[in-house]
Parts: sequence; structure tokens; C-alpha cells
Amino acid sequence: MGQKKPGAVSGLATLLILCVASLALFTVFVKEGDCEQGGECGPLHTVQLGAAEVLQPVRSVFAVILSPVTNTGERLMSAFDDSREQELERELRRTEELAAQASRLERENAELRELLEGQRSAYQYGPLAQVVAPVGDQFTQRIIINLGTQEGVESNMPVVIGQSTLVGRTTEVSRHTAQVMLITDQMFAAGVRIIPPARFDPSSGEISPAVTDESTSYGQGLLGTDLEGYLGVDLVSTSARAEEGDFIVTSGRAGDKELLFPPGLYVGKVESVSSQDIDQFKKIVVEPAVGPQDLEQVRVITDWAGRNG
Amino acid sequence: MEQSTVVRAAVVVAVAALLDAVVVPYLTFGYFSPRLTLVAVVFVAAPLRDLQAVLLGFFGGVLLDALGGDLFGVGALGGLIAAALASRVSAVRRRGAERILLAQVAGVSVAIYDLLGYAARWLSGLSVPQLGEYTLWGILPDVLINALIALLIGGWLLRVVDPKPQHSWE
Repeated sequence: MGQKKPGAVSGLATLLILCVASLALFTVFVKEGDCEQGGECGPLHTVQLGAAEVLQPVRSVFAVILSPVTNTGERLMSAFDDSREQELERELRRTEELAAQASRLERENAELRELLEGQRSAYQYGPLAQVVAPVGDQFTQRIIINLGTQEGVESNMPVVIGQSTLVGRTTEVSRHTAQVMLITDQMFAAGVRIIPPARFDPSSGEISPAVTDESTSYGQGLLGTDLEGYLGVDLVSTSARAEEGDFIVTSGRAGDKELLFPPGLYVGKVESVSSQDIDQFKKIVVEPAVGPQDLEQVRVITDWAGRNG
Repeated sequence: MEQSTVVRAAVVVAVAALLDAVVVPYLTFGYFSPRLTLVAVVFVAAPLRDLQAVLLGFFGGVLLDALGGDLFGVGALGGLIAAALASRVSAVRRRGAERILLAQVAGVSVAIYDLLGYAARWLSGLSVPQLGEYTLWGILPDVLINALIALLIGGWLLRVVDPKPQHSWE
């Protein structure tokens, strides 16, 4: 004998309303389009992207834990049926052809731009990278770009916007994506030099030869973000020249180690300089040239003259 | 229905959706994979009132859509249908057989969800396999696997949500 549950009528009405709501969600999602194709992400795509980024660390943990199961399952599947694999291989070949074509066009474009704008030939750039999503938490400032080892990107490569404005450096690199630690991340550090405005053109990245003259004491130090979130330059001697409005560029110095950044990458401007008599170093606050919210397309510098000494 | 039962049900569904988003992608082989959210919705919606059940199903489905990367709306509709089926079936279930009955509902819900996903992909212009092939290698194993999962964990889910059943089953 059955029993009639209370609220059946209201349940049915709600069911119908929510069915319509589900269909509306589906329609909106499809109409939003794919945000990877150049358009802006709609709210539903943004929700999914945000959730994916939030869950990424947990997923990577489970990826490691469950990799034996996944591998075994895939081997079993391929033993039973290889049609899907063949289909994927065909798709991969098509994608590679398209990627090669895109890469060729991009290279031609870059060459033309170089001719037009006099791009700094000392740097070797990777293809133009799209910023996929921000990652990290309140203690990190990182983004993911859609280039990886496939495109010649490795970890610890400088990432720039435009031609030579430093954005950060690559950290974790996968086959098709790379994580970029932004200059405002608390883990980021770079040797920098403080240059007066008259000696540096941020639009071209050209430094006046007078700056490299060792007889002039321009401020040099270590760029980093403190626990309070201020980007600044540490270890600048109180006797060195450093004034508000000066430009901060990478010095390219790293002692006897391989250079992490080429010299002359523009970082930002000096916002304030202060020091007290008892201080050994100046306290310099830097205003970064680009904020994380301004990043849409970036470039990875894959090599540069004098990289390996 | 006690408010605590509804809260427990929502928590179970949320955890299942989270597991669906985090763990299940690594347990997906070919076209079939565990559908933990649907299984959870079926079992935790069963003791609830109709209105509570459909709201919970929709909640679970939307959560599944938001945390996963599939077409938005498919999970919502799938969860809704699963909850509605479970709620209706719970009105006629028999003493001692509710777990088996709900496992069957879970299987049917998964089949409907798979078909909804197939239709949604087709409607949105994405590539889809042949329906016959998908039914044989996708829906059928999916139904069997998920019905088995439902049978295994269903009793536990029922106890978690409704530790002291107030109904007398006939």
C-alpha cells in the first residue's frame, strides 16, 4: 500500500519551475560561448573557471594518488577498444597542424612587428600567451598562461607584457600551460637597478649607456614584496642614488649563478624613498608598471644574449 | 520532516558533488564513470517531502554543474529528475526493499542524465558519438556501475540522512 506524501502539488509545481530554470541555465551557458575563443567569460563560465582554479590543488593531489588506478583503467580500455584512441590521435594531428600554422603566422607577425617597432633582438620571445586564469590564494599572486613545454617554455623564464615590461616568471610548467609568479608575489625576487627617467625609455626598454658606467652609483637592490603587500627594493645602500619617479629595471646580476632575468626589463617606478640615520639601506616602495588585473596577453622570454654567461 | 534531516541531506549532496568534481575525473574510463551526486541525491531525497526533494536535487545538480566543467544545466536537470523519481518511488516502496528499489532509481536517473548530456552536447553543436554506440558502451555500463555503487552505499546514505525513520513501510 502506498502513501501520498504531503506537499506533492507544490513539489510538482516546483519541479516544473526548476526544469525551466535548468533549461534556462543551459541556454545561457551555450549562448555565453567559449571564453577561450577571445570573448569575455560569461557568469556561468566564470563560476566554472573559478571553481576549477579553487579545486586545482586538490585535484592535483588526487591525480597523484589515483594515477595507478587511472593508468590501469586506461590500459584496460585501450586493450578493449582503440577506436577512441585513434580518434584522439586524429584530433591531435589536426590540432598540431593548426598550432603549427598559428605558430608560423604568429612568427611572421612578430617579425613584421620587429621590423615596424624595432623589437629588441637580444631577447628571444615565445609565442603570444593568453592569460587563462588567476590562481593562488591570499598569499600568492599567480596566473596561468596557455603556453607550456610544447612551446619551449620552461620554469624560471621571465614573462613580459609588450616588449620588455616584466610581469613575473614561470614556475610550474606543464605541456600546454604554465604558472606565472607575478612580481607582486611574496616569493618573487629579482636583482634590480634604479635608473633616473632621463636615462631610460620604458616604451622601448632602451637604457642609456651612461647607466652601465660603473663610476656612477645608481641604486641597486633586490626587488620583492613584503608581508604587508608592498612591492619594494631592499638592500639599496643609503649612499646610492634613488629618487621618487625613478625607473626600476632588472640588473641581470646574480653573482656567479645563471642569470634569472636579462638586464633592462622594466618593472615599475619608485613611489617613495625613505631612510633614517640608523638604517643601513634605503626603504624604497615601487609602483609596478602593470597590475595583475591588466594582464590579458603576455610573452615569455625564452632566451637572451648572455643568458649562460 | 526534521530540519536536521534536510541539512544532513544537503551536506551529503554537497560532499558528493565535490567528490564528483575532484575524484571522479580520475575514475572515468571511456564513456562511463561514477555519478556520485546522482546516487546521493536519490538516496537522500527519498525520505524528504516532494518540495524538499526537488529543491535538493536542483541544488545538487547546480553544484555539480558549477564544480564540474560540463554543460551547465544538464546536472541541474538530471539532479532534479533523480530527486523527483526518488521522491515518487519512496511513496510506494516496500519494507526492506527500499535500498534495492532506490538503487534501480539511481540506475534510471543515471541513464536519463547520460541521455540529457548527450542531447545537450548535440544541441550545443559539440561532437557526439553514435547513439547506439554510446548506449552500449556508455549508458549501459554507467547504469550498471552506478546501480551497484548505489546498492553498496545506499544503506549507509539512508542511515546518515535519516537515522530514525519515522515511516512505517508497507
